[in-house]
Amino acid sequence: MAEAGEDALIMQVQTGDLDAYGEIVREYQNSVFNVCLRILGDVQEAEDLTQEAFLRAYRNISQYDPTRPFGPWMRVLAANLCYNHLKKARLARVPLEDERESLKDDSQRSPEVLLELAQESQSLYRKIWRLPEVQRVALELRHFQGLSYQEMADAMDLPLNTVRSHLYRARRKLAELMEEENDD
Amino acid sequence: MTDENKHINLDQLWAYLDGVLDPSQAEVIQSHLEDCPLCQAESNRLEILTSQLETLPEVSLKKDLSSLVVARLKEERSLSPAITWTLVIEAVAAGAVIGVLIPAFQAAGWLPRLQGIGLALQAAANLFLTQLASSWLVWWAGLKLQASQLMTSFNLLESLPLGAFSPWILIGAAGGLVVLINVLLLGRQPLPNNNHKQLQV
Repeated sequence: MAEAGEDALIMQVQTGDLDAYGEIVREYQNSVFNVCLRILGDVQEAEDLTQEAFLRAYRNISQYDPTRPFGPWMRVLAANLCYNHLKKARLARVPLEDERESLKDDSQRSPEVLLELAQESQSLYRKIWRLPEVQRVALELRHFQGLSYQEMADAMDLPLNTVRSHLYRARRKLAELMEEENDD
Repeated sequence: MTDENKHINLDQLWAYLDGVLDPSQAEVIQSHLEDCPLCQAESNRLEILTSQLETLPEVSLKKDLSSLVVARLKEERSLSPAITWTLVIEAVAAGAVIGVLIPAFQAAGWLPRLQGIGLALQAAANLFLTQLASSWLVWWAGLKLQASQLMTSFNLLESLPLGAFSPWILIGAAGGLVVLINVLLLGRQPLPNNNHKQLQV
């Protein structure tokens, strides 16, 4: 979507034009769905959270700064929503299940959605989904959304050092998983 | 900066690749990398990992969510005035009924009259009853609300759709009305009989 066209659509949305918002959703739904899928690892959940993210974005459209591109704002909002969703789900789980969750076998995770991708990419998705949830969010914000450490800390509402530690652990774990694969 | 083997540790290498080290630290790491093939190999490995992540292809969303999102927003928009007005009416009605009935029962001697902390507790109880009555009246009015929409409108952390305002404001206002009515009505009551007796002694 051309930037000028998007700006005009956003202005229409801010005056309550839902059809204009429909166009915005069509434009960004795939990238937002991918944010949710990378973090959640489940297609149905990712679709639900994508919808929820767009509903929330509309309700909070007054907080959006129109001088900045809409896509990154929307994707960080979606990542944040997934993070809060996972936190709530974690609170509802007993500790033993929680531990099992982070070590879940990668073969259990939404294989059908990956079939369109090359083997190497499928394998990387599965490795990402084997990371603990908070590390997946940190990885998403840094490597897929290009946020700085401080922006990540703000988005996750965590101290900067904690976020950095989650990110480093995620990368270390990912590197280990890749090494394991290479050794096999 | 380095471990006992004088190699760069992994976290520092990541910090270097992320560009978050200060220039002097970055320079030390840069010159070490130039001289150490082991660390250089590790750095290459991390750069490959970063590149693999950042070029990971996206999967395709199999359905169009835009119509669902717009339909939900249109539904919310059509419901929000109904929700607002129902809550206004129910909150005022519940507040008025409770605000009048409790003092009336007290005046009739069916409930004890209270002052000071007791009055505050009574006001809190009235507020709680108002909220209870409001929830019940929403159900009773037969408004066909989806549970999620009702919960959303009551969630303090959520923004409401344009044109709607929080039911908590209405319920709070009704509670305030109840307290005011109680205070006014109780203030006009004669002192309890036991106080008269004490004064006579």
